[in-house]
Amino acid sequence: MEGFTYIDIFATKHIEYLLVIFFLLTLIWLWKFLGRAS
Amino acid sequence: MMNGRLDGKEITSLSEFFRFFRDELKPKGKTIFTPFNIISAPIIILGFVLIILRLVIGLGRPVTNLSQDFPWGIWIGFDVMVGVAFAGGAYVLTFIVYILRSEKYHPIIRATVLNGFLAYVFYAGAIFLDCGRWWNIVNPIIGREFGVNSVLFLVAWHFLLYMLAELIEFSPAIAEWLGLRRIRKILGSLTIGAVIFGITLSTLHQSGLGALVMMAKWKIHPLWYTEFIPILFFVSSIFAGLSMVIFEGSISHKVFGHQIDEAHHKAYNDILVGLAKICAVAMFAYSFLKLIVLVHDQEWSLLKTGMGFWFLVEVVGLVFIPCILFIQGSRHQNILVIRIASVLTMLGIIINRLNYVFIAYKWYLPFRVRYYPTWIEVVITLCIIFTEIWVFRWIVNRMPVLKHPPEWVRENEEH
Amino acid sequence: MNNIDRRTFFKLISSGIAGAIGGKLVTPGIAWAKGTNFHSDEFYGILVDTTRCIGCRRCEKACAEANNLPVPDINDTSVFNHERQTSVIQWNVVNRFETEKGTVFVPRRCMHCNQAACVAACLVKAMKKRKTGQVTWDENCLGCRLCMVSCPFDIPKFEYDKAIPKIQKCNLCWGRFQDGKPPACVEACPMDALLFGTRRQLLEEARRRIYQQPDKYYHHIFGELEVGGTSHLYLSAVPFEQIGFRTDVGTTPYPEYSKGFLYAVPFILVLWPILMLGMSQVTKRQQNKE
Repeated sequence: MEGFTYIDIFATKHIEYLLVIFFLLTLIWLWKFLGRAS
Repeated sequence: MMNGRLDGKEITSLSEFFRFFRDELKPKGKTIFTPFNIISAPIIILGFVLIILRLVIGLGRPVTNLSQDFPWGIWIGFDVMVGVAFAGGAYVLTFIVYILRSEKYHPIIRATVLNGFLAYVFYAGAIFLDCGRWWNIVNPIIGREFGVNSVLFLVAWHFLLYMLAELIEFSPAIAEWLGLRRIRKILGSLTIGAVIFGITLSTLHQSGLGALVMMAKWKIHPLWYTEFIPILFFVSSIFAGLSMVIFEGSISHKVFGHQIDEAHHKAYNDILVGLAKICAVAMFAYSFLKLIVLVHDQEWSLLKTGMGFWFLVEVVGLVFIPCILFIQGSRHQNILVIRIASVLTMLGIIINRLNYVFIAYKWYLPFRVRYYPTWIEVVITLCIIFTEIWVFRWIVNRMPVLKHPPEWVRENEEH
Repeated sequence: MNNIDRRTFFKLISSGIAGAIGGKLVTPGIAWAKGTNFHSDEFYGILVDTTRCIGCRRCEKACAEANNLPVPDINDTSVFNHERQTSVIQWNVVNRFETEKGTVFVPRRCMHCNQAACVAACLVKAMKKRKTGQVTWDENCLGCRLCMVSCPFDIPKFEYDKAIPKIQKCNLCWGRFQDGKPPACVEACPMDALLFGTRRQLLEEARRRIYQQPDKYYHHIFGELEVGGTSHLYLSAVPFEQIGFRTDVGTTPYPEYSKGFLYAVPFILVLWPILMLGMSQVTKRQQNKE
């Protein structure tokens, strides 16, 4: 039977958004750090 | 006339704040019976009564004409989609003023940010009213549950975060009004972060409002349905927002003219010409994007139909033609032509957004089953808009939005 | 297989299913699919053979009785005079069509798509695709009606006239399923026009019927591939557009249409701040030079 494996295409959305929040917070720190370094 | 705390004395106690606020609540101006007030006040009061009616008896007739075929009407199509597009001036101008550091548009930035903030607050209200089960409206925020698969989830969160960003951007004006110097300094340092965040969020929710209808594929007329709807919504939000800035600015400059100093009045024409040029370029690009979509989807033959004519009215009549008018107006510094162009552009945006919600949406259904707003939907919409204008006026008459900030704000801190 | 008559086959299938459900209820932790990936063939659904339907509407009556909805007067045949949609009080409606092969009756209800648009649209996961295939509605709904805009079959119906409105649509008798019973409509059908089983079983049966009686059936199973596959599968004697089906819904699952945008979101959230910080730095240096 050729059915298909049902993959929830939105299964990783939670993690993606958390990663983005983490990125934005880290970016603020990185920007400040680079500002101090120059 | 006392300019609140702009005279330099800082508010140091809560009781002082209450006294100050109570004084500020008194109406400014010579008379309360202006033509605008006489027209808008009864509509606002009637609107609030109708809102209570809507909350009590639900969305069915006589409150709205929503149906199983047309689940969305003017509250989503106009209040939310058009309203948010018109509020786009905030993210475009903060980009130009704070990222590109163009001093030219500085005089109007606070009014634009204030309008943006108020627009989102009131259109969030419109969403609240449109939700059939409004008591659950906090669910996507509190995690009952986080439907991350949904475009609307993204739009809802962005609205919330964007309101916050706009509030932070505007908060220095509030601090100046209250004479809170130290807080003013802190808030000023937050501006650039709020601006960057706000522009990022705006990009996503302007395009996101278009992405909402992506799954309604065969329901939307092929001349309007394309995989690039989100991009078209984003690009059109640029000139929609700036046209609103031109339109609203013209009114504000008349009504609040006494607050604006000589230099600002003189610079204002330059600002209008500059905005017209930006609109012209954005609309020129947009026209070509629409053309590319038309060619790519091989839809030429559809132009010969009734809906094809309607499409040309929207794109040629209310995008391409005002684009030409903006070009001519800016070339000859003709403010009247620029103002006419902005009104035509805004009309085009209204038609464009409403097309996606109930005009080009299920265009094939006969007239007798189609959606048109009830008088109650219209009055509640007007109530929301008028209340927003009243709040805007209240704030502009008291806080340094169009007038200069107080002396104690140092030059290099001024935002 | 040739010699087993329909009734026996139906009994075999339903007892097999009842046994399977019963078995699953007894050993929950082991039998239910884990994680988010599961095979669409294992979704439960209904095979609707419109060549067998006589339009008695007993399925409409059974559906209403099982789901606390107003019971329609199924003796009133005037309802067939126009094509009906499901409504806030009827999750299942039978329509009548006059075709070149005679009168055809078609029971319509939610298709329970493999990848449902309404499920993708719902911002609070009120619309859920169950691991066993049913698409159900839950009370944490806000009534935003995006599911209605998104559904390719226009199935979800909203109770505009109530102060506490719900979205009304067939839920494949989710409640009865958890008690190990088949959907009420399947049980009520006197002609075995409705068959309950997994998609694997239903597709095999549908193909068998077409193969064995090629002149009786139009050679297509509606719902096998449409919108990426649905749990309700239809057999017909005539092309499906003649019996009220949209044949232009495509084979792409509808959530794919909004996936592109949603995937771009994290990219923009990452790139836009970087771009703007960069531009801000460049203009700062230019401003400092002046």
